[in-house]
Amino acid sequence: MKILLVEDNERVSQFVIKGLQEAGHTTDHAANGRDGMFLAASEPYDVIIMDRMLPGDIDGLAIIEVLRKAGKRTPILILSALSEVDDRIRGLRSGGDDYLTKPFAFGELLARLDALHRRSQGVNREAPLSVGNLHMDPLTRKVTRGDRQIALQPREFKLLEYLMRHADQVVTRTMLLENVWDYHFDPQTNVVDVHISKLRQKIDAEFERPLLRTVRNAGYMVTAGD
Amino acid sequence: MTRVIRSSAVSLALGYVALGITALVLFAAPLWYAWQVTIQDGRSEILQADAQRLTDVYRRDGGDALKNFIDARVHMQIAGDRILLLTDSSLQPLAGNLSVWPRNLPATPGNYRIKVDIGDRGIQYTLVHVARLGNYYLLVGRDNKLFAPLERRFWYGLTAAIAVLSIAGLLVGLITRRALMSRVDSIRRTVSAIIHGDLKHRLPTHLSDDELNTLARTINGMLDQIELLVHGVRNVSNSIAHDLRTPLAELRSRLEELALMRPTPEATFAEIDGAVADVDRVIRIFDALLRLAEIDAGMRRSGFVPLDLADLAATAVEFYAPAAELKNIQLTFHADGALPVSGDPILLAQALSNLIDNALKYAPEHGTIDVAVRRRADAAAEIAVTDNGPGIHDSEKAKVFERFYRGDASRGTPGVGLGLSLVQAVAKLHGSTLELSDRDPGLRVVLVLPCGESHAASRSLAAAADAPSSAPAAAPATTAAP
Repeated sequence: MKILLVEDNERVSQFVIKGLQEAGHTTDHAANGRDGMFLAASEPYDVIIMDRMLPGDIDGLAIIEVLRKAGKRTPILILSALSEVDDRIRGLRSGGDDYLTKPFAFGELLARLDALHRRSQGVNREAPLSVGNLHMDPLTRKVTRGDRQIALQPREFKLLEYLMRHADQVVTRTMLLENVWDYHFDPQTNVVDVHISKLRQKIDAEFERPLLRTVRNAGYMVTAGD
Repeated sequence: MTRVIRSSAVSLALGYVALGITALVLFAAPLWYAWQVTIQDGRSEILQADAQRLTDVYRRDGGDALKNFIDARVHMQIAGDRILLLTDSSLQPLAGNLSVWPRNLPATPGNYRIKVDIGDRGIQYTLVHVARLGNYYLLVGRDNKLFAPLERRFWYGLTAAIAVLSIAGLLVGLITRRALMSRVDSIRRTVSAIIHGDLKHRLPTHLSDDELNTLARTINGMLDQIELLVHGVRNVSNSIAHDLRTPLAELRSRLEELALMRPTPEATFAEIDGAVADVDRVIRIFDALLRLAEIDAGMRRSGFVPLDLADLAATAVEFYAPAAELKNIQLTFHADGALPVSGDPILLAQALSNLIDNALKYAPEHGTIDVAVRRRADAAAEIAVTDNGPGIHDSEKAKVFERFYRGDASRGTPGVGLGLSLVQAVAKLHGSTLELSDRDPGLRVVLVLPCGESHAASRSLAAAADAPSSAPAAAPATTAAP
């Protein structure tokens, strides 16, 4: 992926650029709103990471609004120290696609960038999904692994669907909470893990090769690879 | 002086005095006019009668006789307060108690009101009657003396009434001002004491329901809230400092140990992971506090939307069902149909999730937790979370809402002690209350969302939603876990 990072804090920038590099992405960096606006408008990026509060007279939200008005559809992840629900809503309303509050775990950032990128590729929400020998048909709501049919509760179906739409990508607990349950808070306990292990029981228990894997310190991934 | 006049009580009193005087004048003026007209009529009649008598003398006995008659009357002092004057055709006095024909008085018969100099009695306004008898002019008049005392009394009465009104009005104004000033002053003193930092002060109130008292009570309510908030902030700052100390201390020792011991790379990475977890704990506490602050500030009211409380609760129960199952706790849910309310879906979900989470922490193995949603008889919506855990001791009930408070039973369980504070803050934001009651054993927490005006719209929605399914909807909607 080609990523633009608009962030004025040098330490955060270094940390993000290094991490993205290790994950195999190329990153351009702008340390102020003016440069950020120029790069975002002139270069083709897969995803933009935008800090909300920038030095100078152009802040992150203003850049996003200008880009959107100019017809740029590049997915944008807003990075902000403002954590209030209203700030989040304002950020998304201005044209951002996702919102991550500082401080954040790098794994969370990476997973969200992947998800944004995949979403922007345009997916057919009705097309059947497959990971290895696990198949899901969003229309008939049928799930099979090999030749066996798997019965899932509606929420389990939604959980698996989200994981399969992001197959081969790390999906964090927060992403699952937000997208499967629409919960925008931290439930303190490991309830998501329990849901995952229940789902794992249903899709992986009697098969040699597990598809739903736990990624340490990050989240989960559905993958048929090694 | 200007301060006195600018006082609202005094200016009000002055206004009433002016109004009273106007009313008095409006009442007296027509009376005075009618009085004057009546007197004038009466007088002219008397004058005419007098003149007639003198004319009779002239007719009967001639001019000289009249002259003698008048002279005799004046001389014998029986003219009384009458003014008599007989002149010849060139207006030269012949007899009477007036030395000259008054200037300005025309020698034409009729009634006149003129100023006459009556010598020893001074100058008076009086009504005179002029008659022409052959070559003589006769002037007959009477001064006002007869009615003067009455008129004087009238004026005295009016003046006195105005004076009494003015003085009484002013006095009442001043007294009211004093009473008002003393109360306002006590409010001012209290408020300035509060401004200087002593939040314990309250405005004096009494039982009456007058305006100032109502205001004072409202202000006292505000002060209670402010004191509670300030107290809360103080407590919270202390608690934050204390609660952040623990993970920070761990973090510090971890890092220091790393720097000192220089362990193997594997051990180092494990320690770093531990350090990140410590930092995450600190961040969690901060996030919870920020969320609380956000709710307390009442800013989230903008996030109110119509929502179905039953649906929200069903989602939360379903969310926790696997966790309950894992602990062999029976988590049940009861609702009778949709329950539309107006509220913040994110916060209500978080509050309910905290309640269920708490119940899960404290319910014993094989315990039970019940979540029930219903509309009460007073149209308020109610969520009740009941567990059969150890419950909360009466002495702790008030404290559990305090930030960072962790009861004896919570020792050894995860959490930072902000859960119930958040639930309470959410309840408060929704104009609602949180009730704790004992179930022997167990705890029942009830969150009541009152049906305020903001719920009026959703109430009709509720009626519409309930109508088609009211009969069979009484059965439990969802039952999770064995």
